[in-house]
Amino acid sequence: MRDDAKNIETKTTPAAHETLKFHFTPVDEPRPDQENPHAKRTTHVPEVVEALREQFGEAIGDVVVYAGEHTVFVDKAQLREIARYLKDDLGFRYFVHCGGVDRFTDEDRFEVIYNLVNIEARKRLRLRVRVDEDDLHVPSVATVWRAANWNEREVYDMLGIVFDGHPDMRRMYMPEDFEYYPQRKEFPLLGIPGSLPLPAQSPGGDLTMDPFAAAHGSTPVKSYEEPTEEPDTDDDHA
Amino acid sequence: MATTSLGSGILGAATDMGDAFSFWPRHNEAIYKRLESKHAWLEERHAGGDGAPAETEDPLEHQMSLNIGPQHPATHGVLRCVVKLDGEMIEKCVIDIGYLHRGIEKLAEHKTYQEFMPYTDRMDYLSPYSNNVAWCLAVEKLAGIEVPERAQWIRTMLCELARISSHMLWLGVGLMDAGAVSVFLWTFQGREDIYKIFDHIAGARFTVSHSRIGGIASDLTPESLALLRDFVARYPDVIEGWRKFLNRNRIWIERNEGVGVITAEEAMEMGLTGANLRASGVEYDLRRFEPYLKYDDVDFNIPMRTEGDCLARYFVRMEEMLESIKIIEQCLDRLPEGPIRTDDAKHAYPSKEEVYYSMEGMIHDFMYTDTGVTPPKGAWSYHAIESPKGELGFYLQSDGTGHPYKVRIKSPCFSNLQGLEYMMEGHPVADIVVLIGSLDPVMGESDK
Repeated sequence: MRDDAKNIETKTTPAAHETLKFHFTPVDEPRPDQENPHAKRTTHVPEVVEALREQFGEAIGDVVVYAGEHTVFVDKAQLREIARYLKDDLGFRYFVHCGGVDRFTDEDRFEVIYNLVNIEARKRLRLRVRVDEDDLHVPSVATVWRAANWNEREVYDMLGIVFDGHPDMRRMYMPEDFEYYPQRKEFPLLGIPGSLPLPAQSPGGDLTMDPFAAAHGSTPVKSYEEPTEEPDTDDDHA
Repeated sequence: MATTSLGSGILGAATDMGDAFSFWPRHNEAIYKRLESKHAWLEERHAGGDGAPAETEDPLEHQMSLNIGPQHPATHGVLRCVVKLDGEMIEKCVIDIGYLHRGIEKLAEHKTYQEFMPYTDRMDYLSPYSNNVAWCLAVEKLAGIEVPERAQWIRTMLCELARISSHMLWLGVGLMDAGAVSVFLWTFQGREDIYKIFDHIAGARFTVSHSRIGGIASDLTPESLALLRDFVARYPDVIEGWRKFLNRNRIWIERNEGVGVITAEEAMEMGLTGANLRASGVEYDLRRFEPYLKYDDVDFNIPMRTEGDCLARYFVRMEEMLESIKIIEQCLDRLPEGPIRTDDAKHAYPSKEEVYYSMEGMIHDFMYTDTGVTPPKGAWSYHAIESPKGELGFYLQSDGTGHPYKVRIKSPCFSNLQGLEYMMEGHPVADIVVLIGSLDPVMGESDK
């Protein structure tokens, strides 16, 4: 039968992460900047970092420079104020995109990155926010830049980070009743067997299993009540 | 208000797939709930200055909700628009994407950097060359790889060719949506000529995968150069012919003028990119904003409009095609001699001569396929190019192995479709096809 119990087990037991093969150790100390042939003038923004430091002080953390790009770590609690200040006072009015990173560490497991552009002054800035696994909440900046709406939904869909104050916190790509967050590192590349059964091959037929799951002996399960149907007089051959 | 009957009643058994998909009922329920609760920008616009809310009474039952897509020829793929209509006007719109979601960001984490490149062909499948180059440039930035001059010129040239090809499809399909089928056939002739060039250059017509990390796969042959010269010589007149046909075409202009107007402020706020942003009068083109490849050295204009309607987007793209031809012409004239891939076994594939005739070459080839580029541990970077659809960027993070630790794709069509929700509100249903066509979305890219 279906190994549902096992799936739920791996999802809820945090110790199971440690058994997975994994190569990444995050580097927290700033790396020395190197000459990069593709470095752009726009991403070199020490004056913006300076202005942020002056305004917010402690809330602005480390600044990492790699390939001529400034990345500013900011405090999660003050993210929205920082965003508002960047937009209104520093002219970062164009929100390019945001995304999430699963660092797969014990503390501050997730990160959300924001890519912002000041079109007039030709500057590009990256903000970075650390999110702990126990508190998967980040203030939404969709109220600051409307363009953040779908991007934040996508991060929620893929990593399960909830954006507080978001006007429409639905999944972006996956169906609403999907129970997992696919871009977390513990989610297998081939998917969880049986989590997305495929439609029936014929009208009135049974649900089919995706080939990978079928190869592993899983059978599809319907997650809802079967509609009670009046028996038809004909075409029951399917 | 048809609130209660939205789920199944009005739409009937035909769309109620409750007994075929397990996810469908809850997924739909969430979308309709969103449609009901959505704060429509239209309400804001209609409310006027007196603070009174917009009309919500519906005694004649004019309101209905309608699903357009995901299987609909005008949606350019599998885009689903759930709209709430008042008579013929769209009151609210919720866009549902993800029908083509393949999870390529996840897939990339399990590939080497070079292995992932063919997947980028399948993102924006109307301009695969741009995507290849965008990916290669992102990896090159992350690993600090220098690219030889000749390869850069060839990449610039072929990216522009991809832009023309993509815009040709946009034009043909957009006009077919508006009812003119002949232009669709004309632009497909043009695309056929471009495919022929790509076939000569890369050995594939559609999904070219010709770029390589550290350079390109193969040099241009005299035949492909001749084909390019022939294309450059012929096509300004061809495009001029299309413009002559359309610029004074009353049906085309009346379908487009004043439709889907987006001001510069709104366009920035919604995060539109590419030609859609420039048609609203925002000067943002990555070829100028942060020049990559050889765009600093070639002479070209970036077309701009300030009206921000569908007609402006049409004018911008038409002019972009001519500018692209100008760029290709300059690249052909200034193409320098030299290597096409960087000569470093840790950064790029060795040439085939080396692989076949020397032991080291063979080892390098094997190692590059097996491990490939290994950017410094903990490094991250973002590189974006101006693809035909807009800003296409890759955020990459490395853990020091040959596989990216994290890939985050900034897809231009995703951003543009987000703006579509806003643009549709307040337009009649008939304008939906024109609006979708003028934004030029490709679902392969927006759905990742």
